[in-house]
Amino acid sequence: MIVIVANRWDPTPRAFASRWAAHDVRVLTAQDLSVAGWRQQLSGSDDDTAVAERKSVPQKEITGVLTLLPCVVENELVDIAPEDRRYVAAEMTAFLLFWLSRLQCPVLNRPTPTCLSGPYWRREKWVRVAAQAGIPVQPVRRLAALSDASAEEETLPDSTTVTVIGKRIFSEADPGLQCQARCLADLAGVELLAVRFSGPERGARFVSADLFPNLSDDTLAGAVLECLRGEPARCT
Amino acid sequence: MTDTDTILLWGLPADPPVAAVRDALQRAGCQVTLLDQRAVLDTEIELRVGSSVEGLLRIRDETFDLAAVRAVYLRPYDSRELPNVASAGQNSELWRHALAVQDIFLSWADLTPALVLNRPSAMAANSSKPYQASWIESLGFRIPDTLITTDPDMALEFWRQHDRVIYKSVSGIRSIVSRLTAEHTQRFANIASCPTQFQQYVPGTEYRVHVVGEEVFACTIISEADDYRYSTECVDMHPCDLPSDVAALCRTLVGLMNLFLAGLDLRCTPEGRWYCFEVNPSPAFTCFQDVTGQPIAEAVARILESGPEGSFKNHLCCAESPAYAAGEGVGSKR
Repeated sequence: MIVIVANRWDPTPRAFASRWAAHDVRVLTAQDLSVAGWRQQLSGSDDDTAVAERKSVPQKEITGVLTLLPCVVENELVDIAPEDRRYVAAEMTAFLLFWLSRLQCPVLNRPTPTCLSGPYWRREKWVRVAAQAGIPVQPVRRLAALSDASAEEETLPDSTTVTVIGKRIFSEADPGLQCQARCLADLAGVELLAVRFSGPERGARFVSADLFPNLSDDTLAGAVLECLRGEPARCT
Repeated sequence: MTDTDTILLWGLPADPPVAAVRDALQRAGCQVTLLDQRAVLDTEIELRVGSSVEGLLRIRDETFDLAAVRAVYLRPYDSRELPNVASAGQNSELWRHALAVQDIFLSWADLTPALVLNRPSAMAANSSKPYQASWIESLGFRIPDTLITTDPDMALEFWRQHDRVIYKSVSGIRSIVSRLTAEHTQRFANIASCPTQFQQYVPGTEYRVHVVGEEVFACTIISEADDYRYSTECVDMHPCDLPSDVAALCRTLVGLMNLFLAGLDLRCTPEGRWYCFEVNPSPAFTCFQDVTGQPIAEAVARILESGPEGSFKNHLCCAESPAYAAGEGVGSKR
């Protein structure tokens, strides 16, 4: 069974479930965290259970997890009393971090305490890590000025995207940029990453990275499925 | 204002740990700048990151060069909870400005080569108690038998199995640890609304341990309450020495979490088994220091004064969240 963890308002996981209809795919949202059936012991047990699509499932039947949300947000919790939503969102996020981190099956991306799918790195962190790795970067500037009364958002330059999925790289950009994208994914410890450069040519600068690539393309979705199925030649 | 020896404190001036660290630094003759978090609506911040990390902080007419900061002690409250921000209204321009200042400042704190007590990314593991507990256990402390469930029947079964059981929040949001009683059974149906954490009650002597760099300050807590922090009865504290292997484990645990300052909640059973319940990366250490007389603020001041070059474990620009989860990032210890 493949489980897709997502925001309840996100249509993407339903599209995946349709595309991967030949496989047993279940979508898990915050709604499933408000259903009796979860049983998780800190010591770990063969009897542990999860809930997906409002049905309890033995945890050992889960063979892969794709996580499409960074955290549970309050606006998902329409069934929870408004005054409790901030607390419940934090509780559910904390629980998912614990649950996802203990799964032995492939999990894209593995969670960290800052994000349920890889590390939550702001753009400036990605730029700093890239620069330290010797990758040419587009510097980033952030400003919170009183005159604007809000954070100034920089416009990102036109860019080329290199998508990393497991061991595979999808892009028509220069091979050197593909290598840099792989390097960044490795440094971040993720298997799913969209890396943007200022152009497709050799010497283009790193602009930003995104833990949630656009996976609407069939080829990319197929590569994700291979990873989730634990294809040893393609994924670690 | 630019001073390469500046030690920056960010928080509320009246917050006892912040005040105690400020006083200790001043007694030591250090140059201290306390950024009053309440001034967030008079604060501007600019961060530039490329081959270097540069930042400017402006509060009214004063400008601070963040690149010149030597060390930082962070103890901010959620900006949304500050009275002047909350009264501005959710999603108001001032509210968004306050959040932007907080976010950029925390981003800088994760990137700066200055010594940071503690880096925000390193503190994040405390946002999930069972996640942190798994990590604590992997390093050698015992943790109580724990069940997290949305199923009232499973909770009842766990209770029957252990006889004495407590429940507490899963997240880092502070909650009162309470022992299950018969009265709770009427509310057991609510468990289905959200995963709830139940733990075997562990009898024994309670210890609070503060690790500051390599220094360990321990005290025993004498209290009849399930959660002494909220006790209305007398809570007695006495400074003590931990067995050397337990003290060493505390240091190791805190070091591997990339923390320079932490408060650990331990309990030793009558059989001599040591349990660790939590590692708090932003401890309110003054309520222990005030009773026990342990010079914790002085120890914090010494670490800050040592700066990045004097620190025994400098993680320049690469401090990351604990590496319990596979695949954590650059520079994280494994």
